[in-house]
Amino acid sequence: MLRVPAIATAVAIALFALYTLAGFIGGARKLDAIEPPPAARGDYAITLAFAPERFHQQWLQDRGRVVGVKGSTVFMRDVERPALRDIAREYWVTAVARWSGP
Amino acid sequence: MTSVVTGDAGFARPWRLSRRAARTLKGVTGIVLMLVAWQVSVPIIGMSSYFYPAPLDVWAAFVDLVRKGVLPIYIADSLGRYGAGVGIGAALGIVFGIAIGLSRRTSLAFSPLFKFLFALVEVAWIPIFVVWFGYGVKTIVLALIYVVFFPVMYNTLLSVRTAPAVLVNAVRSLGGGRIAVMRYVILPSALPGMITGLRLAAGFAFRGLVFGEFIAAKTGVGYLIFEGAQSQQTSRSIVGMIIMGLMWLAIDQFYLRPFERATVQRWGLIVDAADRR
Repeated sequence: MLRVPAIATAVAIALFALYTLAGFIGGARKLDAIEPPPAARGDYAITLAFAPERFHQQWLQDRGRVVGVKGSTVFMRDVERPALRDIAREYWVTAVARWSGP
Repeated sequence: MTSVVTGDAGFARPWRLSRRAARTLKGVTGIVLMLVAWQVSVPIIGMSSYFYPAPLDVWAAFVDLVRKGVLPIYIADSLGRYGAGVGIGAALGIVFGIAIGLSRRTSLAFSPLFKFLFALVEVAWIPIFVVWFGYGVKTIVLALIYVVFFPVMYNTLLSVRTAPAVLVNAVRSLGGGRIAVMRYVILPSALPGMITGLRLAAGFAFRGLVFGEFIAAKTGVGYLIFEGAQSQQTSRSIVGMIIMGLMWLAIDQFYLRPFERATVQRWGLIVDAADRR
């Protein structure tokens, strides 16, 4: 009788799980490229696949301190490790690198 | 002698579609025709894409929003707010509907206030909520609770009051107390009304969501509609409108309608007119 809601919920959960899993794998890969491994708090250059819009700047601002944008790279200070993991998981973030300041 | 065959007699029609497939095909044909007419009308009207974007512009805007990660986050934010607002609003509506429906005292205490508040649309409250709770989730969820509460409450109240008296008396004559009457008569007979109220309210809630996100948010599909128009990216606004419509269709088709049908089958008094066609 309630097969449709059950199937819809299962499909939604499966899609969400896939999206999350893809984020975890992609994020881990991007963070593995950072040498030495990320400290508890640090400064990073976040490269996007495009020039960031206001949405991306605000989203990143919620996870650290955005101090500048150059092309498709956003420079951030005081990014904590969990926030960095959040950032790296997003598919529109192509690379995360340590940044030593201007 | 010439024989004339009328109707389908004697002929199998392997291509004949099921009724559901035929209905879906008609719906899809209508949408396709509308899209073609829209695309064709763009060069005829000859306005810039800011004023009158073509379907292909809207598609390009959709792809861009997905590629940039904007749309998934906006949809997730809107669905979270919607779920919280509809869930809390429906729960409160059901509780108050049952309380007012069962108790004359509660009815006397709350009915005038609710009648007064029902007349005030949620848009009127949002600026006040912004002053009290600031911009963000709280204000939007409160606006949604306000939108959802009244239809659910009034439908529940009506269903409780119209519960068959003969069944109430039957349970009582068999020694059932208030709880038994509630469990075996009131709640089952009120359930179809509650679900109908919820379905109605869930549709209204999208209007509340759009208004709420216009005014009090920096993310969400409602905000996308508003932001797109403000930044002269009309295609993005249309993407937002389409996504909002699709979200409602999905929620109605995959959750509300099946729940309504299930309650109607189990305890129902209502027949879904769409199913008879």
